[in-house]
Amino acid sequence: MKKRFTNIALSASIAATYMKAKLRQTLVATAGVAFGITVFIFMVSFIQGTNEYTQDVVFQQSPHLRLFNEVQIADQSLLDKCFPGVVNVVHHQKPKDILLNLKDANQVLEDLAGDPRVQAASGAITTQVFFRLGSSSFNGKLNGVNLEKEDQLFNLSGKIIEGSYEEVTVRTNSILMGVGLAKLLNVRTGDQVVVTTEKGGNFAVIVAGIFKTGLTDIDKQQCYASTKTVQKLLGAPASYLTEIKVKLLDKELAHEMSHELQARYHYQGSDWKKDNASLLEGDVLRKMIVYGVAGTILLVAGFGIFNILTMMIYEKMKEIAILKATGFSDSDVKGIFLTQALVIGAAGAVMGLAFGFLISYAVSKVPFNSDVMITLDHLPVSFKPVYYITGFTFGILTTALSGYLPSRKAAKMDPIAILRG
Amino acid sequence: MNVLEVANLNKYFNEPVRNQVLRNVGFQVERGEFVAITGKSGCGKSTLLYLLSTMDTDFEGSITIDGEQMKGKTNRWLAAFRNRNIGFVFQFHYLLPEFTTLENVMLPARKLGEYPAGRTEQRAMQLLKLLDVDAHALKRAALLSGGQQQRVAIARALINDPLIIMGDEPTGNLDSANSATVFGLFKELATERKQTVLVVTHDEDFARRADRRIHMADGSIVDA
Ligand SMILES: Nc1ncnc2c1ncn2[C@@H]1O[C@H](COP(=O)(O)OP(=O)(O)O)[C@@H](O)[C@H]1O
Ligand SMILES: [Mg+2]
Repeated sequence: MKKRFTNIALSASIAATYMKAKLRQTLVATAGVAFGITVFIFMVSFIQGTNEYTQDVVFQQSPHLRLFNEVQIADQSLLDKCFPGVVNVVHHQKPKDILLNLKDANQVLEDLAGDPRVQAASGAITTQVFFRLGSSSFNGKLNGVNLEKEDQLFNLSGKIIEGSYEEVTVRTNSILMGVGLAKLLNVRTGDQVVVTTEKGGNFAVIVAGIFKTGLTDIDKQQCYASTKTVQKLLGAPASYLTEIKVKLLDKELAHEMSHELQARYHYQGSDWKKDNASLLEGDVLRKMIVYGVAGTILLVAGFGIFNILTMMIYEKMKEIAILKATGFSDSDVKGIFLTQALVIGAAGAVMGLAFGFLISYAVSKVPFNSDVMITLDHLPVSFKPVYYITGFTFGILTTALSGYLPSRKAAKMDPIAILRG
Repeated sequence: MNVLEVANLNKYFNEPVRNQVLRNVGFQVERGEFVAITGKSGCGKSTLLYLLSTMDTDFEGSITIDGEQMKGKTNRWLAAFRNRNIGFVFQFHYLLPEFTTLENVMLPARKLGEYPAGRTEQRAMQLLKLLDVDAHALKRAALLSGGQQQRVAIARALINDPLIIMGDEPTGNLDSANSATVFGLFKELATERKQTVLVVTHDEDFARRADRRIHMADGSIVDA
């Protein structure tokens, strides 16, 4: 054991002498590895930072799972019921005029509140409305929500930029309006606007506050009000809810739970993965690009190490033979060249991590203003330790691999064939 | 007791054509003997010495050193054996040019790992002094003259107090004064420390003063 340790130490000190003698090549190889890792760290941090930022914005506005009713064409026509066993053909069947409410929604909300997997559940009514400004009208979406629960789920009160969240909870016929829509309608807090429902009723409501989520789609189209207010506008009873939004403690359970709840309550459902499929797909693609580019750079760096060691082995053929003649074993010789590769790899990797961090940090301080990402004031950069661990492992593995082949060649060399001269 | 026993040793080279270089070589050497191997150029002296040093493992017959049969041993085993028991001096010095003189001498001892670094260094300095190259101990080996490098190589061969010291014309590059020093050193190691010395030489004077001479011709021993 001790013997093995002294052997490794000896190989390492011989490697050190060789590297000192070939300092410039060693530094170039190290810089190559460092460059690869730097690029990897920076790209992953920046791209992932952007990904996480957009995801955060979107997911903050998106429940983990939703339950709702959709207008559906009956899969069995009335004719089939009256004349079973016969082929009945109905052309261009129309849907029945059903209420889109969720049956027993309040009971379901109570059930969900008692479910240990659920963090918060909130019932809501969503309806299409028109807002009038002079002679033109704008399409919008009015969400009747349990304002207290909605705040728990989506931190809605934190997005108010004008007016007050409290006011809308206490005052009927008041709404919160998206900042984009407010600009379009040229209204401010305290102004009155006229809302036209799908059925044609006109109602005057007060704008109690203006919110900004950072998502243009929402900010330009949506309004929030209490469930009571919306139920009143629609002339619907107090039990009328069209959607249940649920936030879970573990969002990975969403898909499974959505199916379970759909089956139990006969609602339709969706989960956050389904609702944001394109966003998640893009995430995977971006990750693939990052790893592809970094992998290529490291491969080139690894090839540099391979070249340097191979060249050095040809130059040092005679010296390797002398070492073997004086009693160094094949594995000692392999150790000498592998050590060089690993030192280059480790030094390059550590430098790469440091530079990668510095560049990422610098970029994270660059001010950035965007109309789309309204809540963003600096470039988003992610600093997860896992990128650094991956980068280091990646660097060490590539260099070890590129050092292994030349070192094996050196170990295999027959000393006497060279020394005989 | 015989330190070295060689029996029925045959060696062939297959390149460029199959050619027998050693024919039924057999002899024994006792511990502490100083043996000179002589013979015309090309008669197979170097080839024989490489086989005895365990660096060349491609042969027919048997080589026994210190009771151990050399045939069929692994590379790793042979390397360790060589490190411990055989000090080899090549015709050409073969030092590692990027290491200092002292480091060159110390390397086989560090590989052996028997003594602490301080003691190894002391011993290496002692050998360098004996061979009158201690003044260059901290210079890179490449900066020394040919004769100096050759003496450093001899010091390197002696560092682990090997059972057998082998030299392939070790004094070929040395002037007569230095040759005499080396001869004296070998002689002393043989008589006082009972180390066995096996030296190929063209130096008639050197050969005459050895305990024993093995004369070769055309791959065979003609006079032992
Ligand atoms: N690597 C080799 N391949 C083929 N023939 C060789 C090789 N090395 C030596 N020989 C031949 O073996 C014979 C003995 O060579 P060597 O042992 O070097 O002689 P010496 O050392 O006595 O001068 C010579 O005829 C030489 O040509
Ligand atoms: Mg010769």
